[in-house]
Amino acid sequence: MRKTNSPKKKTSVTVVHSLQEYEDRQISGSLEEVDAIIEEALGGTEDLSVRKFLIFGQHRAIMYGFSHMVNHVMINEAIMRPLMQPPYHLQGRSIPVEELADVLLQETLYHDDVSKENNVAALLRALLGGESVIVVEGLGEALLVGSRNIDKRGIEQPATEQVIRGPREGFIESLDTNLSLIRYRLQSAELRVEMRDIGRRTKSKVAVCYMEGITDPKLVEELDRRLDQIDIDGVLDSGYLEQFIEDHKWSPFPQVQYTERPDKIVANLLEGRLAIMVDGSPLALVVPTVFNQFYQTVEDYTERFLLMSAIRLARLVALVFSLVFPSLYVAIISFNPELIPTEFAVAVAGGRAGVPFPAVVEVLIMEVSMEVLREATIRLPQQVGGALSIVGVLVIGQAAVSAGFASPITVVIIALTTIGSFATPAYNAALALRLLRFPLIIMAGVFGLYGIMIGLIVIVNHLLSLKSFGVPYLSPFVPGDYNGLKDLLIRGPLGKMKRRPAFLNPQDTTKLAGTDDESGESEKGLPPLETTRPSPS
Amino acid sequence: MDRRGLLARLRLLAAALLLTPLLSGCWDRLEIDERAVVLGVSIDEATEGDERESEISHVKGSLPPPKHGLVKVGVQIALPGRIPLGPGEGGGGTDPSQTLWVIHVVGHSIDDAFMNLQQQVSSKLFFGHLRIIAVSEAVARKGMENINDYFRRNSEVRRMAWLMVTKGKASSLMTAAPKLERIPTLFLMSTLDNSIRMGKFPKDFIGIYWSNSSKKGQEGFLPYVILKDEQNVEISGLAYFRSEKMVGSTKPMEVAGYLGLKGVNPAGYRAVVMLDEDDPDSAVMTNVTHRQSKIKLSLKDGMPHFHIQVELEANLEEKLSEHLAINDPSVIQQIERKQSETSVKFYQNIIKQTQAKGSDIFGFGEQIRSKKPAYWSREIGTKEKWQEMYKETTFDVEVVVKIRRIGMKAT
Amino acid sequence: MGNTNERPITMLQTATILVSTLIGVGVLPLPLFAVRAADSAAPFVTMLGIGFASISLLLLTWLGIRFPKETIFEYSNRIIGKWLGTVGTLLVILFFAILTSLAAREFGEVVVTSVLKSTPVEVTVIVMLVLAAISTRKPLTLFAYMHNFYFPWLLVPVVLISILSLNNAEIVNLQPIIWSHPQKVFIGTLTIAALFQGSFVITVIIPSMRKPQKAMRASIIGILIAGGLYLVIVSASVGVFGAEEIKKLLWPTLELAKATSLPANVLERLDAAFLAVWVTAVFTTLLSSYFLTLYALKQLFKMQDHRVFSFILLPFVFFMAMLPQNVTHLYGVIEDVGRIGLVITTAYPAVLALLAFVRKKRGESDG
Repeated sequence: MRKTNSPKKKTSVTVVHSLQEYEDRQISGSLEEVDAIIEEALGGTEDLSVRKFLIFGQHRAIMYGFSHMVNHVMINEAIMRPLMQPPYHLQGRSIPVEELADVLLQETLYHDDVSKENNVAALLRALLGGESVIVVEGLGEALLVGSRNIDKRGIEQPATEQVIRGPREGFIESLDTNLSLIRYRLQSAELRVEMRDIGRRTKSKVAVCYMEGITDPKLVEELDRRLDQIDIDGVLDSGYLEQFIEDHKWSPFPQVQYTERPDKIVANLLEGRLAIMVDGSPLALVVPTVFNQFYQTVEDYTERFLLMSAIRLARLVALVFSLVFPSLYVAIISFNPELIPTEFAVAVAGGRAGVPFPAVVEVLIMEVSMEVLREATIRLPQQVGGALSIVGVLVIGQAAVSAGFASPITVVIIALTTIGSFATPAYNAALALRLLRFPLIIMAGVFGLYGIMIGLIVIVNHLLSLKSFGVPYLSPFVPGDYNGLKDLLIRGPLGKMKRRPAFLNPQDTTKLAGTDDESGESEKGLPPLETTRPSPS
Repeated sequence: MDRRGLLARLRLLAAALLLTPLLSGCWDRLEIDERAVVLGVSIDEATEGDERESEISHVKGSLPPPKHGLVKVGVQIALPGRIPLGPGEGGGGTDPSQTLWVIHVVGHSIDDAFMNLQQQVSSKLFFGHLRIIAVSEAVARKGMENINDYFRRNSEVRRMAWLMVTKGKASSLMTAAPKLERIPTLFLMSTLDNSIRMGKFPKDFIGIYWSNSSKKGQEGFLPYVILKDEQNVEISGLAYFRSEKMVGSTKPMEVAGYLGLKGVNPAGYRAVVMLDEDDPDSAVMTNVTHRQSKIKLSLKDGMPHFHIQVELEANLEEKLSEHLAINDPSVIQQIERKQSETSVKFYQNIIKQTQAKGSDIFGFGEQIRSKKPAYWSREIGTKEKWQEMYKETTFDVEVVVKIRRIGMKAT
Repeated sequence: MGNTNERPITMLQTATILVSTLIGVGVLPLPLFAVRAADSAAPFVTMLGIGFASISLLLLTWLGIRFPKETIFEYSNRIIGKWLGTVGTLLVILFFAILTSLAAREFGEVVVTSVLKSTPVEVTVIVMLVLAAISTRKPLTLFAYMHNFYFPWLLVPVVLISILSLNNAEIVNLQPIIWSHPQKVFIGTLTIAALFQGSFVITVIIPSMRKPQKAMRASIIGILIAGGLYLVIVSASVGVFGAEEIKKLLWPTLELAKATSLPANVLERLDAAFLAVWVTAVFTTLLSSYFLTLYALKQLFKMQDHRVFSFILLPFVFFMAMLPQNVTHLYGVIEDVGRIGLVITTAYPAVLALLAFVRKKRGESDG
């Protein structure tokens, strides 16, 4: 926190207090000393396995490892066996302690991920991260063995962002897998991944991805700056980070997008955005975010443009509906019934005749009970959930009407609104609009249509003042950008969208070959991509 | 940091304080079911027996009532809850006494009458859905100033409502019970709206009537309706006005004359054409489908002269006897010629009729004002002057009839 | 980041600022003003008014381009001296404060008369003013963004209502198109030109434009669109109602919305909906005049930030808004103030332009 402006290193800047005192200590080569240090630092926690043994029958050694995080088979086969029973070519050779480190590394261990380390703090950190540490009597350096093995679930369909046409893979909790999913789609030399640890105690691994040569370097700098400032003891999900790097904490609108789709991340990287991933979270963050991202889906681009433009418009209508529909209803029923056709108005009056509350109260009650119902449906076990939602909607709605609690039209309005809010692909944006619906209903109850407009103006002014990493939130609509408009309300044909969004200030503006662009030359000589497959970890 | 936080909190508090008065607000919230939705209004002269009026907007002595004579106002209020939501349900709409409430009150002016009414009805009267205002001929002949002023001033009243003059009592229109619609007023309204669509009546909403009667060179007119025995309503012509007073009414067929002279489309009147005056078998019926009129204005001896050219396209609908051969083009020509001749007479009659009363419902004066502004401002200038001059204006009418189709029958 | 530099405002943004500033509550009684002056020649008078107003706008733009880094409050000091310049600035501040309060009151009256009949007019006025005051606390860029965003919402209702009312319009009502009653026409021209005084805001915008040379184009586009909309509204209402009927209507534009219904009776009358959408138009107008007042105050006191004044000014503006006794009194005041204002918004820049030209003063050109 205090040393925010210090030159950045790839290792973490924030340090857990308990490890800080070991920062400058080296191990000396005495097993007893190391044992004491580990005892002192970890306090004899019982899931730490301490294995004492003799290397080649001569050198005393201890291997430390958290037994539940370590791959025992690998340790046994690739580490313990060669150490205890020297390989064929070493048999009979007596190895002095000075050479031992090199011999072990170069000739003995059958494992790809082994390194030397003498800093105590680093050793402890590695140990906590699931690696095994081998300390040898008389050796000034310990060996770190990458033995981490943590159970993870398989790659599944993204639960919240399903598509009909498009890839079926979603991120999982493991950062390594997630990175491999990205690199597999984006086999480009320009993809950069920067790693860091955040969380004083949890030391969560955080990866920042961007495209060199496309992403605005200022954005990368700004993100680094914001990540540096985070000093929290635990980062359990990318959502924690989101709340630290967003620009306006008091706004109901999300300024960072999250997704569990690797293809979406790749598309965003190619537009010049940055992706942030946290180990242990299946949701990646994307910055900078503008409002139109919240009603766009991957499918918009995989299906043909005419159809998807229409669907995107429908989604937009649903979004606006879910915000203003109940308040419009209140305003028209209680303030301006002259707007609706006479036959209908007379009939609506009939429907409302037995309801004891004013329309505002009626709508508010129904909205609140709808929110309760929705929340209940999410929390319920899946087997019960389906039954409850049907019971809830049908029975409660019908009962409310026949009990004279609500008019049938109110039930229709609330149902439409609720369904409309489900049509918004981004859950957090839908949440914001759901929340804002309530003040709008109250405004409508006080001032009618006039009140709704005042409320909407306040909301829009707020939206206009929002920025995500310096990018105005309503770009490309305001400030206007002709090229951006092709992908705003409708989705233009891919062949016509030749440029990356200008508001992201990309280094390389064109994304389609053959664009007559002044700055487009640089891209022609793009080197052929490397096709090495990343090793699965 | 702390100071800023405190300031922000103070600002939030100030905003919250500013918003609290809003909570005491809801000044205008009035639920739709708490409004007495007035669908129709009738205005009659009060008769002797009606004058049992309580003093609600005036007190004898201190706040004397205006000395205009009393009006009797009837309103048709939709009863919430009685008209079912959605189509079909219940089907009990046939008896309007169950869906509507008709109340009559007496007052010194329209507003006074409504105040008297409000005194008797708990819900607030709401005119946003007022569709029909029926005025009895007697009231219309006395003058419409008060009525026009009241409804124009009231922001709830729509300009698309219908104002009409009834022969006899207007209040009977409120209690009429046509069988086709749940709400009688809506039936009346759709009768008029449909007659526009079928070319039987000009667009003459209350707003258009107001605009027309405001114009210097034009007078307003209103539909003239009669309640028939079957509880249905017949549009039986135009009630035409001079300034704010009704001065006469036309026959139903003469509405076609107005429409023809104005060239209003679509057209929809049928006419009998007698090829031979003495031979009853020679009659055929034609249906006019398209009208077009050109009005040419010239000045003859310092007086305006209008040359009106009307072009009608018609279809032959029916003939009364077989011996007339329609497949002969010369016969068709003959029909065309005959209809042109009769039409000229017909049109001239209508113009004469309105000229006699000095009521230029066609807007000929507007033609002068717009085409010959110099002459207008020199010689006419005011509405009253034009009303006088209209009587002496000369017209000649030329009609061309073209028969296009004769239906599915070959002869 | 990259694009929020010192001079962020583009030519198109300037044009939209002008249009949404000019289209406001003044449009509601506009046909009445025009018809009172010239009966059926109302569109002609409107055009004269637009012409007159564009002279003032073009003068201001010319001055702005000549001093591309300064507002009128700065270069007036250099042209006519510090004392006179300060007096001019004070007059501008006073005038636009009054203009703000009158616009708020006028709209408050419209709302209270036609939609919210039992709501106190104070409430509707204070709501609009608070909304404007809060929104003026944002930087100039955001001011431009707001205008930019609301601009399409001004076009939609006007165009929609005009197109729908074409059905009922009669050519005869618009003839004769020229009327000779010079004195009335002249006064009417001034009254209509006074509705365009919000265009003064251009002088604050030019120093923040990316390319100040393009301000002239922005002004011309702005006045053409705004003037075009004025013309369309006047023609449509005169065409539908006829001149004589309009004389009997307080807000003919609103009445036009009332007489229009969407096809297939989706909405049977548009007045309440129109008024609701018009809140945005009035908001942008108030925003501009309030912002201009604050900006002038800021430069008068040589402050860094204009936000300080936004709430200090509020009680004064509100108090002034409450001064007129009733609607007819209000319109009397509006017409008088508008015509007096022409001295400030047209004559004052004209004098400045003349002196600048004669004394050959000009600002540093854009670096």
